[in-house]
Amino acid sequence: MHRSKKLVVLGHFGVGKTSLIRRFVSDVFSDKYKVTIGVHITKKVVEISAGNSVSLILWDLEGTDDITTIRNSYLLGTHGAVFVFDVTRPSTFQNLNEDLKVVAEKLRSVPIIVVGNKMDLVDANDLITVLGENDIAYDFLSSAKTGSAVEDLFYKMATLLQEDA
Amino acid sequence: MLNEYRQRFINESLQLILLDNDSVVVASDNSIFHVAQGESITELHPFFESVPSLIESETKVFKFLCIHLSLQGDFRIVDISISKEEPHAVLVIHDLTEHYESYQSAAQARNESVIKTELTVIKNNELEERERFKNLFIQNFSHEIRNPLTSIVAIANILSDTSLTDQQRKMLDFLQESNAALKLMLEDILSLGAIESGKLHLQEKPFDLTKLFRLLEFTYKTKTKQKNIELVAVFDERIPDFVEGDRLRLYQILTNLLDNALKYTDSGKISFSLSFNQKWANKVSIRFEVADTGVGIPEESLESIFESFTQLDVGQNKDGSGLGLAIVKGLLELMGSKIKVTSQVGQGSVFYFDLLLKYPLHPVQEALKGSTSPIQGDIKRKAKDKVNLLVVEDDERIQTLILKTLVDAEFFNVDILNDGADVLKELVNNQYNIILMDVDLPNISGDHLTRLIREFPFKNIKNIPIIGLTANAFNEQITSYLASGMNKVLTKPFEKEDLIKAILRVLR
Repeated sequence: MHRSKKLVVLGHFGVGKTSLIRRFVSDVFSDKYKVTIGVHITKKVVEISAGNSVSLILWDLEGTDDITTIRNSYLLGTHGAVFVFDVTRPSTFQNLNEDLKVVAEKLRSVPIIVVGNKMDLVDANDLITVLGENDIAYDFLSSAKTGSAVEDLFYKMATLLQEDA
Repeated sequence: MLNEYRQRFINESLQLILLDNDSVVVASDNSIFHVAQGESITELHPFFESVPSLIESETKVFKFLCIHLSLQGDFRIVDISISKEEPHAVLVIHDLTEHYESYQSAAQARNESVIKTELTVIKNNELEERERFKNLFIQNFSHEIRNPLTSIVAIANILSDTSLTDQQRKMLDFLQESNAALKLMLEDILSLGAIESGKLHLQEKPFDLTKLFRLLEFTYKTKTKQKNIELVAVFDERIPDFVEGDRLRLYQILTNLLDNALKYTDSGKISFSLSFNQKWANKVSIRFEVADTGVGIPEESLESIFESFTQLDVGQNKDGSGLGLAIVKGLLELMGSKIKVTSQVGQGSVFYFDLLLKYPLHPVQEALKGSTSPIQGDIKRKAKDKVNLLVVEDDERIQTLILKTLVDAEFFNVDILNDGADVLKELVNNQYNIILMDVDLPNISGDHLTRLIREFPFKNIKNIPIIGLTANAFNEQITSYLASGMNKVLTKPFEKEDLIKAILRVLR
């Protein structure tokens, strides 16, 4: 069975949303930061099991420090969302719980995966302590640079979307 | 005419595609992308995969701004609108690549600036935290090292007064020299720690600058002679004899510069000069300069030599902590000045700085010239009877030093207590003239104990002079001990002369 599912990837600017998608779709990474304006859309088929796959239509949304300003048109027909924050910049996760509430309001009944990216730049133990102290719950800690957890998070989302179908 | 222009300027950037209810292309003007009739729009690009569900929905018009489309090798940034016009849907693609690319540049600059600022703030906070940790470490380290160092100095001093063989005497001399070097190094580390943590406060007192100059000239003439090099010392006669400032710290700066010149010069000469720059009503600007004919400093190292723990790599191991020039830099910054250096490899270096110092207008100079040290005179003159002295100190090695020093002086009856808790009882039962009080006692701190003594109802007890003994060398701490009621504070490690001088000072 094969289905297409729209997945939006959102979060503050400079957190590595585009890099995560490029790593997942093309297995490439660049250290050079290029701002995304508007939206880039790509597609990748994820095989969940034999004969069972999901086409993820990945909407890479322009980053913003005010999540309420995301254009509603981009969210139309969304099946799942990945919210990305940058583990090296507290400003991208210090209001995470409030940001997630806004996203959940905009995308009712849609699975959301929370990802802390740029793990290659910090000490994992220190980070986990900081996130714990700030009451930040996350699903994955990833690195687009090394590829760590990138496949896993999208595979997890594909599985969730298939279960929802 | 207008239609012609519309055709040229607008149609080129607009593409209209007509779709049926199954999202199949019915017609397209292909003004931007080539779209074949009969093709499903969903095959064109992943963006269009959502079109069927939009057509099925009840909403009539959809607008999507700033969509990146890469089709048939062509890349455009477009706005797309989808309107339902039964039985079709009209899809309009508006090419705004140029417009959005200019916006992209502005957003790039803005975001990069915000991220850079944020990361800089985080980095600065980390550096400040490290600096705090370093200063705390230095403070604790100095405290821990001072007690054992005091013991080493004390035992070496005691040993030097015993009969030794020539070989033992040589070894002891070496031990004492090493002690002195270690003590100096410790002082360097403490000075730098105090400078960097902002705990060092400069004194503003009149002092005899010529005397300081002559002292340095004498000291370094001896040292240069030992290395077979020449010292040329020049004091500009237009400089006033007396100036106001921190004599001790100026001495520290100049000895560091002279030691440095001495260390890196094996032949030729060292020039040490004070020259007059300018004079105002009560201020004088003086240039201090130390020049040498030593190894010189490569240009790329001219900045780094003023960093902590930096030594010039001249292919040979040089003594020292590598803190001297960092201390010079820090102290001069506190004095509102800046160390400068010019150098040529193989030719030598010139270190110099300009200092603005006040000079007293009134005959305070004469008073200072004629004054004698307040601790002159001997114990005999100060104390007609033997002095009863209570030592409150839990470190046996310090006890030994004190006991040996005071017993040798022959004018003291000494009692020793290990525990601060016994002090008050001892003071009530015995008559003491002086208390030597360790600050870091096991059960009650020395400064707390001092406060209790100062609040005692009996005058003969509450007024006993107290000399504090501590390994905590920072001004802030010493000030707090003095505020507790101590008359004088001696920092460890101290020499026996320091102890005797302190006792004489507080003896009435």
